Amino acid sequence: MRDGARLPRRRRAGEPRRGAGELESEVLAALWAAGHPLTTADVQRAVDAELAYNTVQTILARLYDKGLVGRSAEGRRHLYRPVKGAEELAAEQMQALLRRGPDRQSVLQRFATSLSEEDAEALRAMLKLRRRRR
Amino acid sequence: MTVSVYVPVALSVLVAVISRLMVARLSPTRGTVITVVGAAVLCAAGTTWALVLLALTLLGFTPLAVHEATERGVVLVQPVPGVVGALAAVALVIGVARVVRVVRTRWATRRELRELCRSCGKGELAVVPVAEPHAFAVPGRPGRVLVTQGLLELLDGKERRVVLAHERAHLTGRHHGLRATAEVCAAMNPMLVLVREAVAFLVERNADEHAATVSGSRALAAQALAKAALAEAGGRKQAALGFIANSVSARVAALHEAPPRPDRLLPGGFLILGVGTTIAAVQATLAFYRLIHWLWLG
Repeated sequence: MRDGARLPRRRRAGEPRRGAGELESEVLAALWAAGHPLTTADVQRAVDAELAYNTVQTILARLYDKGLVGRSAEGRRHLYRPVKGAEELAAEQMQALLRRGPDRQSVLQRFATSLSEEDAEALRAMLKLRRRRR
Repeated sequence: MTVSVYVPVALSVLVAVISRLMVARLSPTRGTVITVVGAAVLCAAGTTWALVLLALTLLGFTPLAVHEATERGVVLVQPVPGVVGALAAVALVIGVARVVRVVRTRWATRRELRELCRSCGKGELAVVPVAEPHAFAVPGRPGRVLVTQGLLELLDGKERRVVLAHERAHLTGRHHGLRATAEVCAAMNPMLVLVREAVAFLVERNADEHAATVSGSRALAAQALAKAALAEAGGRKQAALGFIANSVSARVAALHEAPPRPDRLLPGGFLILGVGTTIAAVQATLAFYRLIHWLWLG
């Protein structure tokens, strides 16, 4: 880019530029988290309010082209939702995987297996402290 | 032979102890993790080879060899007590069985995870529509990030970015390969279990640091990590697993501190120990060769 001033928002020092692939996953994750169809503006708010509207629009269009999100028209706006796979099968496979013995658990390396009661208490206290500060 | 064959064992203990003591102070760069894994590989290979040599000495004292030696008037001096040789053979068999089990479990889990990702559709992100909060990195070509809808609902946009960046760091850093290698080493040589745990901790720290850089805030990364860990534990009482028991709190604490500065001295120390093991293994091999030479050719 020749003219940095034309960027919608200049990156803060130390903040790395994210690749398109990373943003695509973040947008998709936001659509899943919402649980209902979102407009482009909703997605922008859900991912990162500081993200440029145009960027979100481009990413949504790309995801739509790839068949990863579905789109329906509501008036003049578009509503986006994630394209779901074999939901029931996936849920079943997940439960089966998590029911496996301690051998598998160590391969999956879940946080939970490494969290004692005191640790959990300390983490809860830390989160509460942050919430109050905000 | 008698001394050098036991050196790999002693150095393995040293590597294990150092990795246990230093893991929290090591800067979790990829280079550091590779060095630690490399030292583990050299130690595991050295001890395994030492066991092979010790077990092979049993062959030198088979009835056939003894008979032949007495006929030629050679007085046999056992360089290694027969019991040690027998124990080495048993340890070898157990070690190989443990390695086979580790590899098969890893392979099966990975295959199941890939099938699960396929059920979730295409793209890098695979979302499982269940409420339990979990996130995994699934290696492969291309690797995928598997998360549950429950976890995504629990976090806000910036926290989701932290979790996605963390899992992606596991994929781009090929952390699964490093962890699998350390696990195989520990299966072959149980003294290296501490190194396996250190590697598991270091790759998580590496991914945490990457996520903190991507999200632009260490505090935010710490918060997302704490939230995800608490949600995954879900209030269930967990059995404390020794050393790893405090790893999540250690990771959160590390994110609350200044970014780690890369260190050069410690990884070098690991490498020296690994190379020492190799030298000892070579020496033991030469001594063994001389022994065989003496036994069979007089």
